[in-house]
This record gives sequence, C-alpha cells and structure tokens, in this order.
Amino acid sequence: MAKKTLNDSLKKERRLGYLLVAPSLILILAIAIWPVIQSFYFSLFDYQLNDPQKSSIHLDYNLDLERYLNNQPFLLTALDNEIEVAPPEVDEVLEDIKSNVVSYDDQLLEKEGIEEPYNEVNEILFNFEVPSEELKLVTIDSSFGEDFEQTFEQVEERLVELESEDALQNADRLTGLASGLNESIIRPNFIGVSHYANNLTDVRLWRSLGNTFVFTFVSVGFELVLGMAIALLINKAFFGRGLVRASILIPWAIPTAVSAMMWKYLYDGQNGIIAKFFAEIGIIENMSVLLTTPVGAMASVILTDVWKTTPYMALLLLAGLQTIPSSLYEAASIDGASKWKQFINITLPLIKSSILVALLFRTLDAFRVFDLIYVLTGGGPANSTEVISLLAYKVMFQQTNFGEGSALAVIVFICVAIISSIYIKFLGSDLLGDGVKK
Amino acid sequence: MQKKAGVGFYVFLVIFVFVIMFPFLWILLSSVKPLSELFGDQAFTWFTSNPTIQSYISVFTIRPFHLYLWNSLVVATVTTVYTVFVAAFAAYAIARLRFRGKAIILGVVLSVSMFPQIATISPIYIFLRNIGLTNSHLGLIIPYTTFALPLSIWLLVTFFRKIPFDLEESAKMDGASMMQTYFRIILPLAVPGIFTTAILVFIAAWNEFLFALVINTAEDYKTVPVGIGMFQGQYTIPWGEISAATVIVTIPLVIMVLLFQRRIVSGLTSGAVKE
Repeated sequence: MAKKTLNDSLKKERRLGYLLVAPSLILILAIAIWPVIQSFYFSLFDYQLNDPQKSSIHLDYNLDLERYLNNQPFLLTALDNEIEVAPPEVDEVLEDIKSNVVSYDDQLLEKEGIEEPYNEVNEILFNFEVPSEELKLVTIDSSFGEDFEQTFEQVEERLVELESEDALQNADRLTGLASGLNESIIRPNFIGVSHYANNLTDVRLWRSLGNTFVFTFVSVGFELVLGMAIALLINKAFFGRGLVRASILIPWAIPTAVSAMMWKYLYDGQNGIIAKFFAEIGIIENMSVLLTTPVGAMASVILTDVWKTTPYMALLLLAGLQTIPSSLYEAASIDGASKWKQFINITLPLIKSSILVALLFRTLDAFRVFDLIYVLTGGGPANSTEVISLLAYKVMFQQTNFGEGSALAVIVFICVAIISSIYIKFLGSDLLGDGVKK
Repeated sequence: MQKKAGVGFYVFLVIFVFVIMFPFLWILLSSVKPLSELFGDQAFTWFTSNPTIQSYISVFTIRPFHLYLWNSLVVATVTTVYTVFVAAFAAYAIARLRFRGKAIILGVVLSVSMFPQIATISPIYIFLRNIGLTNSHLGLIIPYTTFALPLSIWLLVTFFRKIPFDLEESAKMDGASMMQTYFRIILPLAVPGIFTTAILVFIAAWNEFLFALVINTAEDYKTVPVGIGMFQGQYTIPWGEISAATVIVTIPLVIMVLLFQRRIVSGLTSGAVKE
C-alpha cells in the first residue's frame, strides 16, 4: 500500500515536471530551433526578395494569374489589330502565334482548380483592384509549366524575329506583351546545394572566415592572458574593491554598438584622441592609419573588443580563483614551492574548468561578432574587417538574396557547432552541473 | 592568497581603472564642448572653457532620442518579465523535480543559447514581415525570446539548486501540494536569484543590435543601440550628439551597476563556477 502511494506521487511529480517545462520547450522549439531548420531550407533555393519571380519558395511551377491576365488578352487584341494591316505572309505567322496563345489558354482552363481563381482574378483586375498573393498564384504541374515556358518563349522569339524584319507596325507593343506573358510563369527555384558550392569557391567567403578567425583568436587570446593577470592581481583584500568591480562591469554593460561608436570617435583620423596618442608615441605613422588601412582597422576592432571584454573575463576567472582554499598555497609555501610553481601546480588545475567555460563563451561571442564591426568599420576598408556574420547580413539585407545569405548563415551555424563541441569535449558533463549528472 | 595590498598595487589599480574609464571620461568631456571645439586643434583639449548643453538639447529636438529610449525600455522590460516568468517554472522543474530527460532538456537550452543570431534571422524576419509585425515592439519581443529564455532558464536552474531540499521535504510532510510548496516556499526564497536573472536578461535585451537593426527600420521604432549606431549627419558625423546620447544611456547603467554589482557578478559567474 505504501509502495503504491509512493509510485503515485512519483508519477505525479513526473507529470508536473513535464507540464512546467513544456511552455519553455515549445517556445524554444518554435522561435529558435524551427528558424534554424528553415534557414537551412531557404539556403537550398534561389530566393531573392527583390525579384518577383524568386520572391518566395517554390518546389513546383506556379503561374502568376495577375501578370498573365494583364498581358494575355491584350496580346490577343494586339495580334488581331496587327493581322488586319499586315501583308498575307506575315498574317500567316501571326495567326499561328495567336492560335498557340489561345490553345494554351484553353488547356489552362481545363486544368483542375484553375478556372475559379482565373475568373476571380480577372474580375478583380477588371475593377482595377489588386488581387492577393494567395489568390493570384496557382500551382501547375511541371510538364505543363515546361510547356508554357516553351510556348511563350517561342512566341516572343518569333515576334522579335518579325520585328527585326520590319514586318510589324506595333512591334514594341507586341514584343513587350509577349515578354510580360513570359514572366508570368514562376519556375521552381529549388537549386540544391549550389549556394554552398558557390560560396565555398568564393574568395570573399574564405576571406571573411579568415578575418573572423583572426579576430577571434587574437582578441580572445589577449583577453585570456590580460584577464588572468588582472584576476591574479586583484584576488586579495583591498580598499575600494567594490568600486573597482563596478568600473570593471561598466564596459561590459553598455551596448556594444554604443561602445563601438564611442571608439570610432576616439580612433577618428582627424579628431580622435586615441589616434593622436598612438601617433605621438610612435605606434602608428599618422592618425589616419587606424581606420583606413586593413591592419590598422583590424587592430582597432580587436583593441575595442579587448577593452570591452577583458574585465568580464577577469571577473569570471576571479570567481574561479576565490574557490581555491588558501590553505593549499600556505602548505605549498611551507614546502618551499615558488610562486610560479604554485600557479602551475595549484591555480591552473583548479580553475581549469572556469577557464574553459569562460573561453567557450568568449570564443563563441567573438566568432558571432556583428555589431562591433558593423558600427566601427562596416567591414572596411576594402572588406579587410568583414567577418562572416557581416557578410551574411549584407547578402541577406542589402542584396536581398535570402537564399545565398541563408547558406552563409548555415555555415556560421556549423562553425559554431564545431567550436562548441570541441570545448564541450574538454569540459565533459561539468557544464551541465552536478544535479543532472548521475 | 589573502595578502595585504601595497602602494604599488594601488598605483596599478588607479592606472587600470583609468584605462577602463578613459573612453567614458573623454566622451563626457566632449559632450559639453561647443560644436566648433570638436574639430581641429581644440579637439584635443581636455576641458572646454565654454561648456554647453547644446548637444544634449539637439539629441532630443533634432533626433527622436526619447523614442529610442522608450522603445528600448518597453522591449527590454516586456522581454524580461515574460521570459523570466516562463523560465521560472521550467527551471524549478529541472532543478527540483524527478523526471526523465532533464539532462537532455538542459543540453538543448544550453545549445540554443549558443546559436548565432544570424542563423535564425532570415526566417524570423520573413515571418514577422508576413504577419505585419516589423516596426513594432512585439516584433522585437518575439525574436528576443531566442536568447532571453535560454539565459533565464540557465541562470534560474543554478539558483533553484542552491535552495535546501529539506524545506521542501518538511512542507510535503505537512501535506502541502507541489504547487503550494512552489509558491509558498521555493518562490520567496528564489526571489534574489530571480531578480539577478532579470537584471542580466534586461541588459542583454537592452543591448541587442542585429534583430533591432533588421526588424525595426522605421525611425519611430528604433532602439537605443541602433539609434546611436546609425547617427548620421548631413556632412560630418555628429560627434557632439553621439557623445551626449552615449552619456545619457551610460549614466543609468552606471547607477544600476553600482547598485547591483554583487548580484550581477553572482549571475555572471554562476554558470562558470561550481561550489
């Protein structure tokens, strides 16, 4: 009897557990994990927001009824008008073209599910209104789509040919309508892994990856060494400790974009105090070197990052140092171990996991860097500070090429996954804490 | 290593703090210079002889800086309140209840917090554009969940684990239901941890840049980081206004950091150090 109630309460606890975790898990799944999967899906398409034929994702052929009905009837009228005035040998060709267009329209209307939207869109256009996206796009099967492409390409070609022979009176109008009609077919824009193939053979991607790695290694390296030095130095009781800790936190707390703007002012080639200081002590030749040369710009970006995050690194390491019992050092000094020996044999092994956790988070942050560089250099000069996230942003939101941009985003994702799995291999299950590990 | 600090140590400290604070100091000094002294030779003098608050005035009159501040405040506050609320339940379950798959759930939370924003941005942008939520507060609060929720869960789990288990046991003995135990016993004890989590989530949401840059492009819906990052003059970069705006956003942060530094440090290091 007692056993049964225990089981019941266990079951109840389990049910409650899943219930409490569910809202968070659903949110994470919907807002973080699902978009990553979608990014990968987008990257397989030729998806460009500013091109009406590629502005959404199509696995099948689609027909834009609005465009079709805005061109097809007028093409027929224009052909009729032309036939009236044209000489007999041209007439023959025009009649043939016309019958092609008409027979295609008949075939289209015979297809299932076309007639209704066809008439609806027609009516909307007749009233000079704009049909909705969902209504005007109809899916057609691929053999019919290919047929459409062939038919109307031929129509256009033949009209262009007649135009070049000066056989038409209203040549411009006819060819214009024909090409408009041609654009009403929307090809499937699935292109497989072409974006990846193109990107991986593009120098710009490798350069931006190179820049990202240089930025990550150099800045995180400096931050670790300086942060460790600072942590060791301030790991003692002293007057004004709170004030020092607060001043350490301020660079960490202000928005990166704001601190980047601030440093842009300090580095400025004409009015920047840091640029002037560096020029006067002879580190740089003249003030403009910092933001207008590739090496100067990379160094500036790294210096700003080191300024902003070294204190944070020091804080994490300091917390690790404070967990080491001082009795260990006392015992070591009694045994006559030097300070350096104590550091190597006591400090380092004991704060190893603190160092690795700090390094993991810093490396990932540095690898994903965007705002600092976007504001401070914009990736310049001559793309010398363009990191991979910035490249992906530019392709997506400046060139509105979402397919290629998503491929770049997926490449960033894979790099981040590789970096974190390397760290986690070193850290093992330490990262998840004691409570879970069993 | 509890040693007494010497004079050399304090000299080092002063230099260290000066290096860290110098950019702020310089920005503060620049923000009260008249525009003519921001360029040319006078750009490098420390103190102006004609201090003015002109830059501060034009930040609010020529530019809609008050809107930026309002947008950031709304977005960061709502994000913080709602994610911490949702996360508190999940974190309690993960830290205190017995059920299968906890390690996996925590692993998922941790991995999601490592996701690069750029990898989620294109679908989120398309989705928000299609339902007409670009240029709105909600349009930022939704994507901010991607980093705020994992961060909240992660921090709260460490805080919940620190609350002694005995209390729960004795409440159970007294016949309290699990929800009663949660609301009457655990939650009050967890308030400091929840508060710390809220501060860190608020700062993260306040500082976010990429989503805000892409989703809210209209002047009326820009947040502070994007607003300042995109400050442009007609012919020159308006350093005076940039300095003034920077000072305005830094001062509340300085006050917050001074007040809550202990909490912030405990939050920042809670994932990194094991007791």
